[in-house]
Amino acid sequence: MAATPTLILTSSDGVDITVDRDVAERSLLIKNMLEDLGETGEAIPIPNVNEAVLKKVIEWCTHHKSDPPSTGDDDDSRRKTTDIDEWDQKFMQVDQEMLFEIILAANYLDIKGLLDVGCKTVANMIKGKSPEEIRKTFNIQNDFTPEEEDQIRRENEWAEDR
Amino acid sequence: MSSDDLSIRRKSDFSEIHPTGTHSLEEGAMDASQVSFKSLFGGTSEPPEDGDAEPDSTHRHQPHSFRNVTATSARFADESVAPFLAKHIPEQYAPLGSRTGKPVDLSIANSKFCYRHRPDIKCRRQADEPSMDKLQRELETLPQSDQQGIAHVWSLFSAAPAKHRKLILQGIMSQCCFPQLSFVSATVRELIRIDFVTALPPEISFKILCYLDTTSLCKAAQVSRRWRALADDDVVWHRMCEQHIHRKCKKCGWGLPLLERKRLREAKREIELRATTWDISGSSPGLTYVEDEQSAATPTAERSSSSAKRKSEDSSDEETAIVKRQCSSLGPSSEKDDDYFKKRFRPWKEVYKDRFKVGTNWKYGRCSVKVFKGHTNGIMCLQFEDNILATGSYDATIKIWDTETGEDLRTLHGHQAGIRCLQFDDTKLISGSMDRSIKVWNWRTGECISTYTGHRGGVIGLHFDATILASASVDKTVKIWNFEDKSTCLLRGHTDWVNAVKVDTASRTVFSASDDCTVRLWDLDTKTCIRTFQGHVGQVQQVIPLPREFEFEDHDLECDNDNDNVSTVSDDSDPASLQTPVRLQTNDPPSQSALFGPGFENDRPAPPRYIVTSALDSTIRLWETTTGRCLRTFFGHLEGVWALAADNLRIVSGAEDRMVKIWDPRTGRCERTFTGHSGPVTCMGLGDSRFATGSEDCEVRMYSFQS
Repeated sequence: MAATPTLILTSSDGVDITVDRDVAERSLLIKNMLEDLGETGEAIPIPNVNEAVLKKVIEWCTHHKSDPPSTGDDDDSRRKTTDIDEWDQKFMQVDQEMLFEIILAANYLDIKGLLDVGCKTVANMIKGKSPEEIRKTFNIQNDFTPEEEDQIRRENEWAEDR
Repeated sequence: MSSDDLSIRRKSDFSEIHPTGTHSLEEGAMDASQVSFKSLFGGTSEPPEDGDAEPDSTHRHQPHSFRNVTATSARFADESVAPFLAKHIPEQYAPLGSRTGKPVDLSIANSKFCYRHRPDIKCRRQADEPSMDKLQRELETLPQSDQQGIAHVWSLFSAAPAKHRKLILQGIMSQCCFPQLSFVSATVRELIRIDFVTALPPEISFKILCYLDTTSLCKAAQVSRRWRALADDDVVWHRMCEQHIHRKCKKCGWGLPLLERKRLREAKREIELRATTWDISGSSPGLTYVEDEQSAATPTAERSSSSAKRKSEDSSDEETAIVKRQCSSLGPSSEKDDDYFKKRFRPWKEVYKDRFKVGTNWKYGRCSVKVFKGHTNGIMCLQFEDNILATGSYDATIKIWDTETGEDLRTLHGHQAGIRCLQFDDTKLISGSMDRSIKVWNWRTGECISTYTGHRGGVIGLHFDATILASASVDKTVKIWNFEDKSTCLLRGHTDWVNAVKVDTASRTVFSASDDCTVRLWDLDTKTCIRTFQGHVGQVQQVIPLPREFEFEDHDLECDNDNDNVSTVSDDSDPASLQTPVRLQTNDPPSQSALFGPGFENDRPAPPRYIVTSALDSTIRLWETTTGRCLRTFFGHLEGVWALAADNLRIVSGAEDRMVKIWDPRTGRCERTFTGHSGPVTCMGLGDSRFATGSEDCEVRMYSFQS
């Protein structure tokens, strides 16, 4: 039986993780690197991504390893939707710190699908909320003066659907 | 005790697991803490996994047992805490949540840390005032010595480097009982709140914001200065315009009428560039950020007209200071920004807002009505562009009106009988009459340029596009007039009056609607009928091709279709199924064209994919031309539907029953019904923000949804 080719990724905190090559290649960064450098057999360092996050990212890539390649983001505007498939929704049920790290990791590793899902998850946290509710959700300080706040509220009143 | 000793002790404490305290350390404090340890857990069999004494003292819920310790803990602290603090504080990098040491000059240390852990980035947690107050008050209820003990634990933790902290936490948590863990888990949920939009690179923040709907986006702009700068940016609103203008957003169901699509396209590259330049960490990030913050605080109008330089001069010192403190490497570089502002016209949010208002007016039927009176017989045809309205009547005249003033500008005399159809562009107006002739006019002067007689019956429908004119007649034929080579030809096939024609230059085809209850599609190359649409049971009065951008999703359909296999659910085992809907959506010219026969096999574009028709059977129908299927029938008019107009967003219809209805082509729902005419509605025109209806009551009514 031919073993699936594997790679070793080293997280920022120095942990080696073995991963199938086709899974790792969901990351365009890794894919391009392998194409450019060829396979050296050495561990690939992934700075900026710690073990916990890297494992999460690999979990996503494993689940999505047979997804069709993305078709460039021009199609986004046609199909903008914050619907997230069920598995991804569950996957994204993590605390904000982990979500934040996943988004950064997806961006760094260039995994478009994961970045999309991460951004949609954050968008869904914003949707339908009042400014005060948004501040509460993300622990944001209101740095407007009351006068500014009032003016900005009036500037944006048109968007109420009525 | 030296700090070395302490660190050794700590090490052994963390690494060994002692069912009971077996430390052989000199400090009495250790013994005392073991006592408190036992009493805290009431002698249960649960072994302490961690011999480290300090975390224990955080059990504020057990002051009675804690008191045993405090006498000695003070001494312990003096001897062991101080060296620990001395050792670690200089190295402290202030990870998330540290309460002390904020004033330490962190900027020097910044370079060592990844962007995520730079303390000046806003993802750093802020202490929240009410809960800190509560903590303070509760602490003050304890005896001085207990306070001392707790403070030591906190300061130890605060001074500890990340790795040590993790160990301390692990130790503490392994001692917690479930109620305490539940407290931790509830508290943690509250504490981990990150300002994503501010902390993430702007490119990603834009991506997040682009997933929002209009209302949420406008709420987001009210959150904070930083959010406002991002949520109001052209990057986001250009995208919103792309998504909504002249197409219905699938997600929110909103559609905004067309504006200059060319501008929308031209701006695209500019916008893409802008999204990425926000990301640039310039050599002087503080400065660019100030400018950005400034522009966010100034009204958009000023923002687009004034230069960035002037704005930064205006900025108050205080504001600049605030901004500098929060500064990050984010923000567009100033030169590019300047360039950008020079080129553009209005902020896209403003553009969007205008169209959104029109959209809401359509939705809620808020409009003003203008009535044009002057014809002495029923009005049979009309068209409007900008401020010009042209009408044709059974009184044998054509009138040109100013839609702004309502003034009757000109009356074109010349036809011998009722005018049944007309169309005008910049230079000419062409009319067809029951007198069997077609006339070409200079509508600006009222002069009749030429007259064509080629039909053996009244000309009751006409349409021209580019160099082709098609005319429909009582004589059951369609005549094609080629302006370029002066050739003409006749399309025969209908068995009764032909009421309407539509030329499609791109595909070199013509649609026709007839009293024989059919609609036909003709190939102008072969002059043959290539498709017949049968289904209406009354005389078909109108045929309108929908714009090519119009998208109709098969799952909107109630009737049978052959695309049932379209999968909207992701399926791992069959990646191809995910792409299926995409492939169906794209207008793949060769394959779709091929459906129309051998004449369309090469690069010839296919005819418009969807058409709507109206008939005297009181219905409107939506057809798919590739298959000839009727996709939907619109019921609601009580009598024959004479007049029809449609664009990407809506279908409007006028009928013998004197009513005008607006329909959603996708859902088939009648959105609104207008009354007002005292006779049958015979013709209508549709624009972005208005529609006009002509009636046998000799009047034209124009409904404007402009705010």
